[in-house]
Formats: sequence, C-alpha cells, structure tokens
Amino acid sequence: MIRLEHVSIEFGRRKIVSDFNLAVGKGQLVCLMGESGCGKTSVLRALLGFVPVSSGRIWMGGDELSLHTVHHIRQITAYVPQELALPSEWVSEMVRLPFELKANQHIRFEEEKLFQYWDMLGLSRDLYQSKVCRISGGQRQRIMLAAAAMLDKDILLIDEPTSALDSDSSGRVFRFFSLLKEQGKTILAVTHDRKFASGCDRTVNM
Amino acid sequence: METTDISFYSMAVGLLLMLVPFYYLWKLKTGLVQATVLATLRMCVQLFLIGIYLRYLFVWDNAWLNSFWVILMVFVASHTAVSRTGLRRRMLFVPILIGFLVTAFLVGFYFLGLVLGLENIFSARYFVPIMGILLGNMLSVNVVALSTYYNELQREQQMYYYLLGNGATRFEATMPFLRSAVVKAFSPCIANMAVLGIVSLPGTMIGQILGGSAPDTAIKYQLMIVVITVVASMLSLMITVNLSGRKAFDEYGRLKHVFRHQKSRYNSLELF
Repeated sequence: MIRLEHVSIEFGRRKIVSDFNLAVGKGQLVCLMGESGCGKTSVLRALLGFVPVSSGRIWMGGDELSLHTVHHIRQITAYVPQELALPSEWVSEMVRLPFELKANQHIRFEEEKLFQYWDMLGLSRDLYQSKVCRISGGQRQRIMLAAAAMLDKDILLIDEPTSALDSDSSGRVFRFFSLLKEQGKTILAVTHDRKFASGCDRTVNM
Repeated sequence: METTDISFYSMAVGLLLMLVPFYYLWKLKTGLVQATVLATLRMCVQLFLIGIYLRYLFVWDNAWLNSFWVILMVFVASHTAVSRTGLRRRMLFVPILIGFLVTAFLVGFYFLGLVLGLENIFSARYFVPIMGILLGNMLSVNVVALSTYYNELQREQQMYYYLLGNGATRFEATMPFLRSAVVKAFSPCIANMAVLGIVSLPGTMIGQILGGSAPDTAIKYQLMIVVITVVASMLSLMITVNLSGRKAFDEYGRLKHVFRHQKSRYNSLELF
C-alpha cells in the first residue's frame, strides 16, 4: 500500500533523508523511529506531497505520487499531524471538521460509532459537549485518532500518536490500531515510544 | 452657499494642534516623534501638490488624463499595500494591481454610470474622487486581510496540511484562514456602518455639506459611498487572494515562503 524507493529529502543544502526505502503492505502497522530531526515527519509528509523529494519515487495505494495523483492519494488517506490545533470551539465541531470536506461528504458521521471508538481509547462521552480549550493534549490526540478512523480510509498516517499519553492510554491506542489493522487498514506511524513500537508489525529505524 | 476658505496663517494655527500628539509621543518615549513629524510634513506637501494638480485636472477635464491619473493611483496603492503587508513583492504586486484596477473600474463605472447616470463618467469632478475613495478603502481592507491570511497560514500550517491531508482541496483547506481574514478586515467596516449618522458623521457627507450641498443630497451620496466601498473592498480582496494563491502555493498545494524576511523557497524543518 505504501512504497518509497530511494527517496531523498533536502531542505536547502541540508540533506535530511538520504536514499530511503520502505514498503508497507495492506493491513500492516509499521512505525518509523529515530532521533529528533532525522526526517521521520518529513517522510510522512512526503507521502502526501507536502514535502518535495529531491530524488526517488513514492507509491500510495497503487498510485505513484505525482501532480495528477496527489489529490486522489490525499482522498484515500487519513492524516493526523502532531499537536494539532483546529479552529473549532467545541469538540463536537472539531471531530466533524474532516467530514465537512467535499471528498468525505459521502461518509456518514455516526455519533454512536465515534463513542464506540472513544470507549476503546478511554475517552468519556461527556467530552463531546466540551469546549476544545478545556480538554488535555492527550485527549485531543485520541479524539483526532478516533475521527481519523471514522473516515474509513485505506491508509492512516499518524504523527506521534502517543506523545502526550501515559502508558495505559498508549496501550489503548495500540489496541485500537490493532483493531483497525484487522479491518484491513494500513497504518504508518511516527513514534518515539519504544513500547508502542515493539508491538508493531515492523519498526523502521531512520 | 460659499465655503469659508482657510488662509495659510489659519492653516499654521490649525497645525499647531499637532504639538499635543507630538508632546505625548515624545513623553512616552514611543520613538515615533520623527516619523510623525515627517508624516505630517509629507502630508502637507503632498496634499498641496495634489491640490495644484487637481485644479488643472478639473480645468482640462480630459478623459485620458483622468484615466492615467487613476491608473497611477492604482500603482501607488498596490505598491503601498505590498510594502505594508511585508509579503514578497513578486508574489503580491501583480495580483493586487489587477484586483485594484479591475474592481475600481468595475464598481466605479457602475456607480458613476448606472447610479449617478452621468453622461461623461470620466468627468474629473466625479471620476477622480470616487476612484480615490474606492482605492483608499480597498487598500486598508486588503492590507489587514492579506496580512492576517498569510500570517495565520504560516503560523497554523498544521491545520492547513491536516485538512489537505484528509482530502480537502486547496480552496477548502484555506477557507478557515480566509474566513478569519475577512472577519478581521470587515468587522470595523460593519461596526462603522451600524453607527453611521449617530456616533460618526463621515467625511463625504461633511465635505459635501461644507461644500454647500443640501443635507439630504449629502446623505444619499454618503450611503452610496459606503455601499460601493464595501463592495469594492470585498471584490478586490477576493481577486487578490485568488491570484496571489497561484504564486503562494505550488502545484501540490505546498505553502511557499511568502514573507520578505523568509529566505528559502519552502518552509524548513522547524515548521515540520
């Protein structure tokens, strides 16, 4: 589902990623690990065309990333960046935001399904009527993970899904990802969490 | 009814009032004294020169000359807008020039030709001041809105890329930023409209009354001026945002560095 061949990423004269290769099959959970600044997030962003690659090729869901395919690739992907701040005032608005996009309007937003996911991730249903400014970073992270899963996309790209979580919540996120994997979703996550990484199908050190 | 002229001596007496803000700017150590003195001097010299020029412009009343003058005003307004936003000249100058030019002529002609029903819409007495009012308002709204739009886009890139990465088109992903820019730029206009005539007596109306027009004529003009300035500001902003977007983003929707102080083409690591 995801393939990178000899990918290099440069910012100005600085080479961030050099000759990087990766293949993630359908239904796999793979995580990228490495020191801060080694280019993990840049690789994740390159998959969606947010970062220009200086050399190499990228395939997502069978399509090679190019000007003609990039919008389609973004439509078959759910993406959750790190420390995301959305302009919504209420949590109920925040989770609905991606469903309002034209590309996702065919996907039905079901509150009951969302609450099922929240239960798995250890979130209380009361949060739905909360103000975004009142929730913690960890809660926000899990809320957005559940919203991404609700989008029912084939590929999930997640940046640091457990960075603001305690070990109990990290375990819940891992079990949640395992469930998505069973549903055939392909997940590529960037993480610093060794415990989380040890449970993944594969860990790629950068 | 004749308007009372202000002699040069009286002008000097009036300008003495500026000593009050000068004093407080100096006392509060704002560092703005020199800039304010210079701005006051520039204003006096520019307005007197324009006064002389307008006198001849009105006497000659030539359509080509008037149009040339308005085009020059558009150039100066575009240059000022680019300077004040801090955005890259290469990115913004042409879009803003087109936005101002198209809107000023479109809305200006609509007002002069259809609303006022003038036989000669290029008549200097109407054409030049109306275009001036339109450009002044377009300038202030565009500066606030474009600064807000691109500043927020730079600051909240995570949100922009989140929307884009979940299937949004570039238009959809920039919508929250455009919304915020429009709210910030138009809120003062809307607030002013709401209190017009009660709290504030606007310039056009006062100018006309001082010039000898009947109050009801002055009010009608003021009303129409407010309408056309709001319309022109909105229209020019939409054209400018649309056209500048073609240069601010690449084909993949990646936001380039749009501010003059940023060096490389794309946003670097610290933003990712």
